[in-house]
Amino acid sequence: MSKPPPPDPAFIGLALNRLGYGPKPSDFTTFPQLGFEGWLHQQLSPPAGDDAETNRRMAATTLKIHYMPKTMGPMIDEMRPLSMIDAPIETLWPILFDHDKPSDGNEKYRARDEVTAATVLRAVHSPYQLREMMVQFWHDHFNVDAYGSEQVSVALPAYDRDVIRRHCLGNFREFLEAVATSTAMLYYLSNRSSRAGAANENYGRELLELHTLGREAYLNDHYDRWRAVPGALQGSPTGYIDQDVYEAARAFTGWTVEDGTRLDGQRQLPNSGKFAYVEAWHDGYQKRVLAQEFDPFAPAMADGRKVLDLVAEHPATARHMVTKLCQRIVGPEASPALVAQATAAWQKNAKAHDQIAQVVRLIALSPEFAASRGGKVKRPLALAASFARITGLDLVPTPGLMFALNNAGQRLFGYLTPTGLPDDNGVFLGTNDMRYRWQLLLGLAQNSWGTGVCEPSRVMMPALTLADGARFWLEVFSTPVEPALVDAMTAAVGGTAQQPMSAYLGQPDGERRLATLVAMAAMAPAFQTS
Amino acid sequence: MRVTRREILKGLAAAGAGSILPLAGLSGLAFAADPGAARPLLLVVHLRGGCDGLHLISPATDENFIAARAAELRVSADGPDAGFALAHGPDASTDFRLHAGAAGLAELYKDGHLAFIHAAGLTNATRSHFVATDMIERGVANEADLARVPSGWLARGIGSSKTAAGLNIQAVAAGGVIGGDLAGLENVIAVPDLAGGLAPPGGPKIGSVLQQLYAAAPGEVAAAGRKALQLMERIDGQLPRDAQTHVLPYQPPEGAKYDAAADFARPLKVVAQLVKMELGLEAATVDIANWDTHEGQAGRFRSLTERLSNGLIAFWNDMTPFHDRITVVMVSEFGRRLRNNKSGGTDHGRAGVMAVLGGRLKGGRCYGTWPGLQAADLDEGVDLAVTTDYRRVLTEILDHRQGAKGSHAFPGYPYPGPLGLFA
Repeated sequence: MSKPPPPDPAFIGLALNRLGYGPKPSDFTTFPQLGFEGWLHQQLSPPAGDDAETNRRMAATTLKIHYMPKTMGPMIDEMRPLSMIDAPIETLWPILFDHDKPSDGNEKYRARDEVTAATVLRAVHSPYQLREMMVQFWHDHFNVDAYGSEQVSVALPAYDRDVIRRHCLGNFREFLEAVATSTAMLYYLSNRSSRAGAANENYGRELLELHTLGREAYLNDHYDRWRAVPGALQGSPTGYIDQDVYEAARAFTGWTVEDGTRLDGQRQLPNSGKFAYVEAWHDGYQKRVLAQEFDPFAPAMADGRKVLDLVAEHPATARHMVTKLCQRIVGPEASPALVAQATAAWQKNAKAHDQIAQVVRLIALSPEFAASRGGKVKRPLALAASFARITGLDLVPTPGLMFALNNAGQRLFGYLTPTGLPDDNGVFLGTNDMRYRWQLLLGLAQNSWGTGVCEPSRVMMPALTLADGARFWLEVFSTPVEPALVDAMTAAVGGTAQQPMSAYLGQPDGERRLATLVAMAAMAPAFQTS
Repeated sequence: MRVTRREILKGLAAAGAGSILPLAGLSGLAFAADPGAARPLLLVVHLRGGCDGLHLISPATDENFIAARAAELRVSADGPDAGFALAHGPDASTDFRLHAGAAGLAELYKDGHLAFIHAAGLTNATRSHFVATDMIERGVANEADLARVPSGWLARGIGSSKTAAGLNIQAVAAGGVIGGDLAGLENVIAVPDLAGGLAPPGGPKIGSVLQQLYAAAPGEVAAAGRKALQLMERIDGQLPRDAQTHVLPYQPPEGAKYDAAADFARPLKVVAQLVKMELGLEAATVDIANWDTHEGQAGRFRSLTERLSNGLIAFWNDMTPFHDRITVVMVSEFGRRLRNNKSGGTDHGRAGVMAVLGGRLKGGRCYGTWPGLQAADLDEGVDLAVTTDYRRVLTEILDHRQGAKGSHAFPGYPYPGPLGLFA
């Protein structure tokens, strides 16, 4: 077989935008050298941790913290380094109980803000772009809300690092157990307080409905008549019923967090924030989940693990997960044939350490992916990061930027319901969303939130006039170049079409005006999608 | 099954070809007089997460209830935290009490503006948030119909209208996201806040660039951008500004104490401002989230109930000149389990409470049938049974507000007739 032709710029744009956070100018040189398969191979087997350059930026980044302590004391107003990203949970957990130091919600939610800042930095700077995209996919899938609970905030660095990043291209069954035993999820879906006798059903239900089998497999009409579920009497029920939710909830009783809770008159749990299994809280009696009988009094954690085995290997889970991956990578028009092919790959690789990477590869190499250009609206973080990457903006994450992303419809680590931010274009296209998308681009170009000076002249082809500059960026963003549009754009930065570019570069705010020109071109519909 | 926006658009395109019954309300475009004409407004308040109706209005003296619930998860008839007694409650043989945090609702009820329908909900027994929410918003009773009915009940109920003068803003999603109930309606705006105005960023020159960029471009983003620019212009021009052209903060009348509603005030203020602009608004939705109280319910429920109650009475007092035009309906995807769990919370259940607030309402009483809490009365032996289909309440409201539009909203629903909510 002959080598595939080198990818054209449009395909490079698609690949980098859909499987990452958009191309840098240099990608148009390096990507064709690797070819799409070579690039994918590199992206799907990244080394653990960040590259040296991203690490350097993380180490150099400070993030403002600013509040008036509730206890008497001076105003806290300082630029602090990101010190929590690599910290183990037991180091951060005491923040929740720190009554000596002037403390406040800002300290407890600092961990969340540091993870958010690191997420933005990695999106813009990491060479492992596909990993960053998959990390976001899984944060949406296994959503937790670090705005609604200070414990979830403090647990977020460990959740992001040891659960999501570690498993984002790995094995789904291992991933599930890492989530089920994570402090963030145990708090968010409140399994940590679930006890034998009247189990808390929150996690059990969302495990089945959202994390694994999916709502298509919720056979609600059968409620508690498990024998009526097709396939159940053969041991392979096609879906789940409320009774499975109740029984799964019983299986996870006792999966909790070392949070200092008293166990009896003498003993209490340590207060470290780490996972704990408390036998006394576990409902040990026999259970039936997905038509499988569970013997009474199984060893520690065996009931919960058996539920994870059952849901991980269920065909409905394979379909649900693959459908979501296709929706993210290809868009809503993924064909049943592609879904079936990827589902088969998911199931065949059920035990593989790189199960997820293999399925992502298959979907990305499908002809449907190559034909899907323009089909997905960029999420706000992708909109901001892709603007920074293409203009060479050395983006610094700031609270103002986080607020702007939030306004545009993506509050990172702050989606309330366990569905996570939906993967549906319509969610990002409301009146208000459009307005704040435009604002986001303009704010980055004009450095409104201290995110860094945008100097697009560094990455531009030499241009003689402002009109040349406007045309250049409209073309980069695949937008038709109309003379009237070029006139309006140059007028909006206070110039005329024929004004020499050099005049602008010499002025104190020249680059800012040029950047505004670029922002306007990026506000066009074509830059809003991947 | 989940239906994406794209499928909805496809479905609507098919409806344009004149095929599907469920879209009858949308295909009959009405040409209304002028956008400034006084229109009835229906405000839908979504209590997201499944509000525990048995904790909002408790059968305080029911022995079965007392046996099934920890004291902090029910409203009592006596003691320091006693709830508000409800005249004409759901069942004469039991002392029903409204949560002590709902002073505003108690006042509205006493004054005859507010009615409750206990044991209301979906006839379908789903205990999934997301399935239940989709079914209620789309106005269907069977999950399979979600795939066939792409538009929302509220969109069908009011129907798309156009004016000779051009675009009017028919509906606002003041939560910031257009929910399934408004799906399929053309002139709907999603605005969570008006405090910063609604002009395009960067001033009028960049605004005119945006107009050109979006004027003729193909695709759904371009269509969304064009609509955004058009709707923003209509609203932004009417916001009061100071001499430096900064938008002035909203000034509600003295009696409208929004501050007590915390974050629930913001969407209500957006609706109130838009009503006063007379843009032709016919429907609005607001959300109050976080009712999914699997854990530590007592404190969370109180705080939510206070915000809900304080918000609704502030809005009502703000809207005094418009009372005859306004109906507010409150709905949640389901109620919660009769028995609490060991996390101090309750799990997903069935029937909940609906409330209706309005100027021409026969309020101050509860409607519907109380199913009882004996084991045999419960749904599947565990949950409060649904005795009033939520569609019955909404149909009656639509018929009253819009004149027999209820049947458009819920095609195929065998409406048993009004509960008699309106005078």
